[in-house]
Amino acid sequence: MQVLSGLSVGMFLFLVSVGMSLIFGVTRIVNLAHGSFYMVGAYLMVTLVELLPDRPWSFWVALLVAPLGVALLGGVIEVGLLRLIYRRDPLMQLILTFGLILVIGTLVLIVWGPDNKSVSRPDVLAGSVPVFGQPFPSYYVLVLALAPAVAVALWLIFYRTRWGMLIRAATVDREMLGALGVDVSALYTQVFVFGSWLAGLGGALAAPTVAVAIGMDGDVLTTAFVVVVIGGLGSFAGSFVSALLVGLLQSFGILVFPAISIVLLFALMAVVLIVRPWGLFGRAEE
Amino acid sequence: MTASAPRVIAIAVAVLAIAPLVLPPFFLQLLTEIAIVGLFATAFNLLMGYGGMVSFGHAAYFALGAYAAALLVKKAGLPMLLALPVAPLVAAAGALVFGFFIVRLTHTYFAMLSLAFAQIVFTVIFKWKGLTGGDDGLLDVWPPPLLKSPAAYYYFTLAVVGLCLLALHAIIDSPFGYALRAARESPRRARFIGVDVRRHQLLAFVLSGLFSGVAGALFAFYNGSVFPDFAYFPKSFEPLVVALLGGVHSFYGPLAGALGFKVLEWLISRQWPIYWPLFLGGIVVLVIIVLPGGFVGLVSGGRWRARPAA
Amino acid sequence: MAGAPGGVILRTAGLRKHFGGVQAVGGVDLSVPAGDVRAIIGPNGAGKTTLFNLITGDLAHDGGAIYLDDQDVSGLPPHQLCRRGMGRTFQITSIFRRLTAFENVQTAFLTHHRRHYNVLRRARSLYREQTSGLLERVGLGEQAAKPSGILAHGDQRRLELAIALASSPRLLLLDEPTAGMAPRERHEIMALVAGIARETGLTVVFTEHDMDVVFAVARRITVLHQGAVLAEGAPADVRANADVQRVYLGNPEPTR
Repeated sequence: MQVLSGLSVGMFLFLVSVGMSLIFGVTRIVNLAHGSFYMVGAYLMVTLVELLPDRPWSFWVALLVAPLGVALLGGVIEVGLLRLIYRRDPLMQLILTFGLILVIGTLVLIVWGPDNKSVSRPDVLAGSVPVFGQPFPSYYVLVLALAPAVAVALWLIFYRTRWGMLIRAATVDREMLGALGVDVSALYTQVFVFGSWLAGLGGALAAPTVAVAIGMDGDVLTTAFVVVVIGGLGSFAGSFVSALLVGLLQSFGILVFPAISIVLLFALMAVVLIVRPWGLFGRAEE
Repeated sequence: MTASAPRVIAIAVAVLAIAPLVLPPFFLQLLTEIAIVGLFATAFNLLMGYGGMVSFGHAAYFALGAYAAALLVKKAGLPMLLALPVAPLVAAAGALVFGFFIVRLTHTYFAMLSLAFAQIVFTVIFKWKGLTGGDDGLLDVWPPPLLKSPAAYYYFTLAVVGLCLLALHAIIDSPFGYALRAARESPRRARFIGVDVRRHQLLAFVLSGLFSGVAGALFAFYNGSVFPDFAYFPKSFEPLVVALLGGVHSFYGPLAGALGFKVLEWLISRQWPIYWPLFLGGIVVLVIIVLPGGFVGLVSGGRWRARPAA
Repeated sequence: MAGAPGGVILRTAGLRKHFGGVQAVGGVDLSVPAGDVRAIIGPNGAGKTTLFNLITGDLAHDGGAIYLDDQDVSGLPPHQLCRRGMGRTFQITSIFRRLTAFENVQTAFLTHHRRHYNVLRRARSLYREQTSGLLERVGLGEQAAKPSGILAHGDQRRLELAIALASSPRLLLLDEPTAGMAPRERHEIMALVAGIARETGLTVVFTEHDMDVVFAVARRITVLHQGAVLAEGAPADVRANADVQRVYLGNPEPTR
């Protein structure tokens, strides 16, 4: 039971981490505001579910639209801000995305207010199903069913489409790609938008399972860091494996003592850092 | 340091000394805050400007200092004058533990990991309600009656901050400081003159955490209470922006930056208190976009790549 | 500082390194007696820099061992090798750019005397005479107060030499010390190195592409080819060696 909920948490983490990893792999920018995108996805979900009429399909429509909203936000940020700083000192790029955390966080506070929000699960998934004799929230079934589906879809995109091939090529050698006539600038925008969409999807999916609150950006960002440190920045497989690992650790940790999960995460991260600083699946860049 | 620097310092000290005679309490409090932020930023800059390591999570040590001071006074019953020297040691211990892992990395990974550790400190403070009061914080953390008035605490803060600045200045001018700068300029050259770069950087990290903890402890008694957001993002952003504003390659830069920053914060917060982080983030984003070099005074002139330590 | 006369100061036994499937260094046995001035030459890709980096601990070796004064130092980190008397300069000039030339060398003296954990004294006043003296010796007396980053390339190389010498090494490894210099400057700096080596008994090992410089300064030459030692001996013998002529000297390396 804990295993399954841990895997679900891992799923949300995976969506956020793979987006961050993807953006870094192609543009070499670590988007510190990625946790903020997750949060915006969750908040948009809240508003959409409130606004849409109370019908069986409204949840699913919201789930579809919320990530698109985040993708739009990501697109605006990329075109309006990031494009201007690609050639800059990476320290400045980091500070800029750090600044965005503050900007987006305050805007969310202004628009939605400081109170916690929540999203109800759709009726069809509101109950629970027996798994191994124990009641298991049906909503998690959705998440767990979606997990392999999204992972497979991503794999198909990266390894079976031309666009995916361009992305993989860009993570290895951007300049060469440009020299071959690919519009690298457009690719950057697409990647950033896609990465934002993934984070938004993570937030929207997670919204019915957590308290949607100011501060979710920080929590998810920290955990995503841990995932990315362990799995390796820029590695798809790394994000997947380590997200599930971290999700499981968090779930089991809560059984013992809430603060323990932090310590466990810290310990795991420490071990990886000492043994393989570039992550389990990462490349040691020279 | 130019030849006129001692004179400027003397004038500044004189002005600060007579301030309580001229200024209303509100401005004394503002100056107190400026001094505290100035110390925090100077401690931070030991790492950034002189060590070449940019921490995105220095609020952790500020918060550890603040909470340790508050807990020592409230739960252990220590008088403030005893809690104040002890609290920074807690911050230094945190810096030792976190720094051990963080200095194994460089640049982007360094920044990210330092940010993650600050978030961990925040989360622990937030969740461990029994010890820290969680979201409610710890209240009634006041200095003894003798130091409670704005003017008294102002002088006290100036004295403590002044001592710490002297110490930091000595550290930078010492052989330790020379080797630290060497490690920043060329780690491999430094190794081959016998410097254990990782250990050296860890020591600098601990010293930086120690003095950040002093700033946190001073702030705890100034504020009368401590809250989890002492460890949150905007607080980590503060020394970074202050140091960049004032100039990272000079010792007094962060102090000048603190003055400018706090005045700006005061002016904006009195109109729109909720919006301050928005302004802070927005201004920084704008400066980076508009100015060609970002902020004046980049940290390391060389290329910055995202990778773990070589 | 003089090395043990007649002793072998540096020895490698079967040193190996491969990258992926490529054998960069395959079983190199090197023996450098104290006081030698040894040039390591070979075409590009012969493994000179790799060999250097293996000896200085910048690269982990895959097999074999490295001995400094008959003590196994394989795998020691650079700062410990320095303490044991090994110094080096780098192919890409590595100096402390934002410090003045004076501070560069002064810092090296500070660390050599293990004072770099001292936070109480003012570093400015320490080892001033030794620093001035060393800067004069390498020809940088006039430039001492300048930020080292603005010095001319050749002067930066001299500075790096001074930094390395400040640590009183017994063995000095110079990786392409004359790279990027005009011919006259090359001879000047290598003559300087050879002069210091004679005065102090310092053992010098260097890699070099310019054959004129090599034959002017080296006492013995080791020729590397495809990661292994092709020939070794006095300059005249090496020059006459048929294998060497065929592989290397016959196709002269364009002098840089």
